[in-house]
Amino acid sequence: MYKLLLCWRYLKTRYLAFACIISVMLGVATLIVVNSVMNGFSTKLRTLLHSVIGDVAMESQSAEGFVDPVGKIARIRKDPYLNEQIESMAITLDAFAMLQYRNPYGEIATRVVRVTGVEMKSRTEVGGFHKNLARQKSEAMPSFDLPKEIRAAYEEGERQLRLQQELQQKDPPMPKFDPPVGIPDDVLKIFNDAKKGQPAPAPIPAPMLTPQVARVPQGAIVGHLIAHFKYRGDDGVITEKCAIREGDRIVLTTVSSGEKLTPVYDSFVVVDYFQSQMSEYDGNCVFVPLEHLQTLRGMDNRATNILIKLKNYGEAKNVKDKLAGMFQDHGINVNTWEEKQGPLLRAIEIEKSILNILLFMIIAVAGFGILAIFSMIVSEKTRDIGILKALGASSGGVMQIFLSYGLLLGVVGSLCGTILGLTITWNINAVENFIAMLTGSHVFAGDIYYFNEIPTDVNTTAVVIVNLGAIAIAVVFSIIPALRAAMLHPVQALRYE
Amino acid sequence: MHGTMPLLSALNLKKTYVKHANRIEVLRGLDLDVAEGEFLAVIGNSGSGKSTMLHLLGTLDQPDDGCIHLEGRRIDNLPAHERDQLRNRTFGFIFQFYHLLPELSTLENVLAPAMITHGVWSWWANRRDLRRQATEMIERVGLSHRLTHKPKELSGGEMQRAAIARALINRPRVLLADEPTGNLDTANGQHVMKLLRDLNQQEGLTIVMVTHNLDLVHDTDRVVRITDGRIEQAEKGLTPTFASVGADK
Repeated sequence: MYKLLLCWRYLKTRYLAFACIISVMLGVATLIVVNSVMNGFSTKLRTLLHSVIGDVAMESQSAEGFVDPVGKIARIRKDPYLNEQIESMAITLDAFAMLQYRNPYGEIATRVVRVTGVEMKSRTEVGGFHKNLARQKSEAMPSFDLPKEIRAAYEEGERQLRLQQELQQKDPPMPKFDPPVGIPDDVLKIFNDAKKGQPAPAPIPAPMLTPQVARVPQGAIVGHLIAHFKYRGDDGVITEKCAIREGDRIVLTTVSSGEKLTPVYDSFVVVDYFQSQMSEYDGNCVFVPLEHLQTLRGMDNRATNILIKLKNYGEAKNVKDKLAGMFQDHGINVNTWEEKQGPLLRAIEIEKSILNILLFMIIAVAGFGILAIFSMIVSEKTRDIGILKALGASSGGVMQIFLSYGLLLGVVGSLCGTILGLTITWNINAVENFIAMLTGSHVFAGDIYYFNEIPTDVNTTAVVIVNLGAIAIAVVFSIIPALRAAMLHPVQALRYE
Repeated sequence: MHGTMPLLSALNLKKTYVKHANRIEVLRGLDLDVAEGEFLAVIGNSGSGKSTMLHLLGTLDQPDDGCIHLEGRRIDNLPAHERDQLRNRTFGFIFQFYHLLPELSTLENVLAPAMITHGVWSWWANRRDLRRQATEMIERVGLSHRLTHKPKELSGGEMQRAAIARALINRPRVLLADEPTGNLDTANGQHVMKLLRDLNQQEGLTIVMVTHNLDLVHDTDRVVRITDGRIEQAEKGLTPTFASVGADK
């Protein structure tokens, strides 16, 4: 009984012990926050990658794709085992392209994108593709069709553009230039020609005019981060602005298939945004109707991928092996989604492990603090230890006082650390915004870390392990001072000054 | 009141302290018998070995040679846990500097030996009785108005009286007092001595008191002097043997 009483009194009266509690608390809180963020990052990445890629992917080894994807699907369906395991399949065609659009200031902007041709019905059946669409996420069957309001916006945009172009043709602006001092002769000629109203041989090629087509273009789904940009206003608030609105016309220029690569392009109307929260996809992908892309690139009845959704992901390895055997001479790679994203997922796991080791070292440093502070407390309490022994306390009892003290500090520190850690974790984005407001720069930049918001996932087992580890460290580091206290000779302890 | 066997006896006790190259022979063959119910005063100069003898008798330390018996049972070579139990239940200690635990109140300090005796469950089951006993003990030493006070809030005399109450809570057979009035003024010293005398006379408590103040020994049954690590002579009473002291009482 005296052990508990003294332990409690020492905790209440020795303010130095609060340093131990704070160090354990900070260590535990940091570990919980980092673990939860890494877990959240890993879990969200896995979920999103899975939804974007499907369970198993058959990929062409060449950008030329493979022939007869429909026939291949039929062949897969003929296999009883595969037919039993596979729920749905979707054909897609990937290519790199240049995307051109008019930004809000009327200027033509160009960027490199990855264009993917998808057949919306089958792609929706394979995975959570439609869940990543901004406008059609709640629709059972999204499409590339232009709804009324988008079509109206498109027609209005076209009308405005035509008016603007007509106006420019009627009254072309005459640039007024004063020749700068020391200008080279060839450049000076351009200025002089411009003064005379002659068209200058522009040193930089003029931006390509968007092709004028009479028909209403096909719909396209543009990555959210392609269509939007963020900027910091004068008030310091970061605002997201739309660069490509729904109904805007875009031009995609890619290359034809075949021996001689020829540029091909077409106009599309933006009907939706792809918003997976992964900057890798949101900042690079444009989705268009599969058949149209096949036609544009001259790749009729060819595709680069078949994405497969399984009824039971546990069978993925067997399905993959069977498919690889079935199409081994077709220039097709077959991978599960985890294999496809293996390096990234492994990198996250390794990073998590290293961080955990480093952070446990921080708690170990806190342990050395406990060792130092406990040693001081034992020295300070030497006479009390002598008194206790004179009253009949055993060496084991004295040792238990200090071990219980270490245990109590560990428990209180861990408890406070868990509360602090969980509070920070559950409000991590608010905390990040606050830090961004103070420092002027975001700790978690969405374009670097895939997601716009910090994902978190509190793993109860990890929290329990962190707590037990911290408590164990607190107890282990109090063993030496406790032993020292236990071994004190009562007479020497009583005479201690 | 007394049997034929001394309650506590020391035979040929030797104790030497060694620090670096220095050897200090404190006890050089000390013999002492303490009868049950006796109030024995041990006097001697500073450094004569009075406190060392008291520590050896109370099993706080072990002799280099010689032996100590309690009711005929040798106790100096008992295992540590048995010596812990003796200090907790058979011996009560009073020190010159009181040695109260500063974190605990008067009541808790007095209860400390009982807390050591009882485990958590046993304490919980008997807590009301134990608190009542402690409160009575504190009342007896005249400190009932200081139950919840911490040692730093007590005067020297009050602290020593609290220490006496603490020494008595487990109803020890022998009270070992090391200069109990050494740090007190005359009035408080007399108060403490009266308390010890009353305990001895009314309850038959055996007391071994070490002091260098000859004024205090008048109230004791017997006085022995330690010189050069041995009991030199009986200063008071007829003879140093317990039987005579018992007869004297």
